Amino acid sequence: MLVVLRDGRKLHGVLRSYDQFANLVLEDTVERIYHQDVYAEMKRGLYLIRGENVVLLGEIDLDQEDDVPLKQVDWETLEPYHQKDIADKKARDELKANVLFEKRGFCKEGGEGDGY
Amino acid sequence: MLPLSLLNAAQNKPMLVELKNGETFNGHLVNCDNFMNITLREVYQTSAEGDKFWKLKECYIRGSTIKYLRVPDQLLDVVKEEQNRAREAGRSSRGGSGGSRGARGVSQRGGRGAVRGGPMRGARGRGRGA
Repeated sequence: MLVVLRDGRKLHGVLRSYDQFANLVLEDTVERIYHQDVYAEMKRGLYLIRGENVVLLGEIDLDQEDDVPLKQVDWETLEPYHQKDIADKKARDELKANVLFEKRGFCKEGGEGDGY
Repeated sequence: MLPLSLLNAAQNKPMLVELKNGETFNGHLVNCDNFMNITLREVYQTSAEGDKFWKLKECYIRGSTIKYLRVPDQLLDVVKEEQNRAREAGRSSRGGSGGSRGARGVSQRGGRGAVRGGPMRGARGRGRGA
């Protein structure tokens, strides 16, 4: 299963259980980060995720997973790029929000800034 | 095995709790409830940026502020085993009486449905029976 959280994290693991709040138990979880056409993963183990934070939950076709056209690299290599991607996106979103607020009369977003 | 029963089974186990604001708490679970409120002991708190650390003897975390919890991998095996044992124990203790209870149930249902028959009556009876 692939789980995407509200903070943008992508977790791959085996779904062991869930309840009416979509609280999830994920076993043998790995976290994946992406940058352009490469990705890296980090072993994380057993997760209990509070349902509120789940954006998306999807089954992964393991056969198709074999021919994903992405290259795996070391986590240590990719992490700085990933952090930069996040920072860039944050800056871009802030800029956009400011333009919308000042020139277009939109309200400032009151939430956590993640669009959910 | 619901997520919250797994949490219940994790008492006294080490775990990592990440809050929605990104702060993390490493400690041993003391107690938890059905709102996912938890208390931890011997806690290391880390700021969202990962640059500041605090050590706490004990702390309470409101369930609604939690993003996720990371628990030991072995916990799932332990809980599965416990569940199996509980199921076995339940089956063996119920064993003999199960059959007679079933038979009683059938005869009652037959009597209600065929002879006395009113729907209200039937419904009430079933409720009391269960």
